[in-house]
Amino acid sequence: MSDSNETVIALLGQPNSGKSTLFNALTGMKQHVGNWPGKTVEKKEGNFEHNGRKYLVADLPGTYSLSANSDEEMITRDYIASGKADVVCILADSSQLERSLYMLADYAGITVPCFLVLNMSDVAKEQGKSVDAGELEKKLGIPVVSFSAPDTKSYDIFYKTLERAADQKTVLDPKNLEKRYESIDNYDRIRTLIPDNVIPGYSKTWLAAKAVEGDAPVIAKIRAAVSGENAKAFDEAVSATGKGVVVSGQCKFEWIDELLSGTVNKKASSVSLGKFDRLITHHIWGKPVVVLIVILGLIASFIPALPLMGVGQLVAKIPDPLNEAMLSAGCPAFIAALVCDVFLRSVSFIVQMLGFVFGVTLVFGLLEEIGVMARISYVFDNTMARFGLQGKSVMPFLISFGCTMGGAAGTRVIDNWGQKVLTIALAWAVPCGAAWAVIPMLSTLFFGAWMPVIIAVILIVMILHMWITAKVFGGSLVKNTDRYGMIMELPPYHKPKWGALFRYVFGRTKDTFVRALKVVLIVALAFWLLSYTSTGDITASILYKVGHFIEPVTKFFGMGWQTFMAFIASSLGKEGALGVLSTIFTGSGTISVGSVVGGAAAENINELLVANVPKPEALALIFAMTFNMPCIVALAATYQETHSAKWTARIALYYTGVALVIAGIAYRIGLLIW
Amino acid sequence: MKKLSEIGKDSVAVIKTVNGDLRFMSRITSIGLTPGCTVTVIKNEKNRPLLVYSRDTMIALNRSECDMIEVEIGGKTA
Repeated sequence: MSDSNETVIALLGQPNSGKSTLFNALTGMKQHVGNWPGKTVEKKEGNFEHNGRKYLVADLPGTYSLSANSDEEMITRDYIASGKADVVCILADSSQLERSLYMLADYAGITVPCFLVLNMSDVAKEQGKSVDAGELEKKLGIPVVSFSAPDTKSYDIFYKTLERAADQKTVLDPKNLEKRYESIDNYDRIRTLIPDNVIPGYSKTWLAAKAVEGDAPVIAKIRAAVSGENAKAFDEAVSATGKGVVVSGQCKFEWIDELLSGTVNKKASSVSLGKFDRLITHHIWGKPVVVLIVILGLIASFIPALPLMGVGQLVAKIPDPLNEAMLSAGCPAFIAALVCDVFLRSVSFIVQMLGFVFGVTLVFGLLEEIGVMARISYVFDNTMARFGLQGKSVMPFLISFGCTMGGAAGTRVIDNWGQKVLTIALAWAVPCGAAWAVIPMLSTLFFGAWMPVIIAVILIVMILHMWITAKVFGGSLVKNTDRYGMIMELPPYHKPKWGALFRYVFGRTKDTFVRALKVVLIVALAFWLLSYTSTGDITASILYKVGHFIEPVTKFFGMGWQTFMAFIASSLGKEGALGVLSTIFTGSGTISVGSVVGGAAAENINELLVANVPKPEALALIFAMTFNMPCIVALAATYQETHSAKWTARIALYYTGVALVIAGIAYRIGLLIW
Repeated sequence: MKKLSEIGKDSVAVIKTVNGDLRFMSRITSIGLTPGCTVTVIKNEKNRPLLVYSRDTMIALNRSECDMIEVEIGGKTA
């Protein structure tokens, strides 16, 4: 991926420093997202060209410091030490400069070339703050640029600064910070004991400061490099550091204060919450307001979604006439079915769903960018912490009542990969719009006035399911180190960068389309082959034979072969279950992909169902369908967001298994009642 | 000295000590809450995270963890 002519830039900054916005603006649609090898941390890289020069941008994980308390921080440190980056771009938020320069202070002592971007200068300006970048540059010895993502003129200066840092290999001067470190007990003693080149790119100053802070990996590295008397002296010095991390933190902030005195002008501003913040942090109104925002966001998502949904529906009109045309032109029925029934219907299905993904990514990406998402996180933090999740996870859960694929797309705003995967895993338990279209209908059909009771039980089972799933997957996805009480800043609101946002949304929608198309085509083709018969008699299909063969097993879960077929079909799309039952009970033709994703059912399907399916079995089917894998497109979206085939498969198998168990329980309860 | 969680709304206090495990101390330091720094309590309601303002930043803090931050009332507005 990287070649020798490329200049590699690593973006380093705290969460909410505007790092992702800059990354998206620089690289646009040329991004590759994956995971860091062996780690549950997302790896984002992208390319761009400027002035005939090629760049590779590595978006390092958002962390608050360079300590060793999380995988994200370790990955960041290792990446810098690896020498892959030619220049590190450190971001700070101009509107909260004092706090956000902590990353720069923590970087001081690292000898990899760097430059500083003072982001969100527009917000700072509105708050009456101005920063003298030139003055800062003199004090630090590295290029400094004031930057505002929504302002296109900013980019020219950014590129110039980047070129200057890359060409001159500018290194941050840590001299003044060093002087302050020297006042810390044991710092000098430790520093003199450190041999050269313990970790490439990290100076003795930096290593000694980390050792004082009790940083275990750094201490171990130094310890391995010293021996004899020195080792003993080093151990003694380290064990005497006590609250070194707090003291060195004080040094860093004193250094920042010194740096900023004379370079920052700010008006005395009154500290108070804005109207919206007062409302959203209100102990009664906060949660309803968040739910309302998400619902409004969901509705707003449909506006950009509608054109794409329309295109999808147009595509759905092609297969029938095309099929006829192909048949009359002498094309074999097998091929016509493949093209029309498998390919075109899959495309239509995906394009319709994709509209929603596009809308959700745009609307909730916008809410994230202007700072609303951080407030949502604050309001629901206590509740979601019980699942080991961030407050933001409430948003994908709510979206999933509409569409699980949209919910999965919504998890993009969750910056921790493990929590993101866990959120998707839990969101699958939320019955989606398609389930709400089918389940109440089936419940009324079989159980009449008891329908509301069944819906209530489904909602209770949903919460239990999420709770258990959080226990099952939480351990390996969300480390204990990520499960601590909330310490987060509420960033100031800022203007979105529309161009970058749209490019990002188009890029992600395109990726989702490609990936979803692959998954859906493969699954649709497999299903079609399994259910294909040359005669149109369902009992001649492989699916029937397998279903019949394993019926003794499926009976255990309360389902005969017909309802089990419907259950399998419901993992492709919930509406599909009815289409399949309709085909089976009317004995008409093969199960088509059209009947599965379109839910085309015979007119007398209701009577057929009541006549053929006993009540306990119906109850089993209702629960099995509700808690089954939501649909193939959701599966594809899960793969797209987690970029882990292993976790996608794990979640899918888990859901299939759990749905069967729930069905079995429902069946046995049903047997007791009827 | 008082715990940060005991400070009422709109009060200004100066942080005296930060306790807790290494991870907590490191995290709270990185968000700017260090001894000597002035904080203004913006919101302090039961069962809700505390909202404080310090170093130009609005910060939400879990209540139980605020017990590990000791402060002294007074000082000028952050």
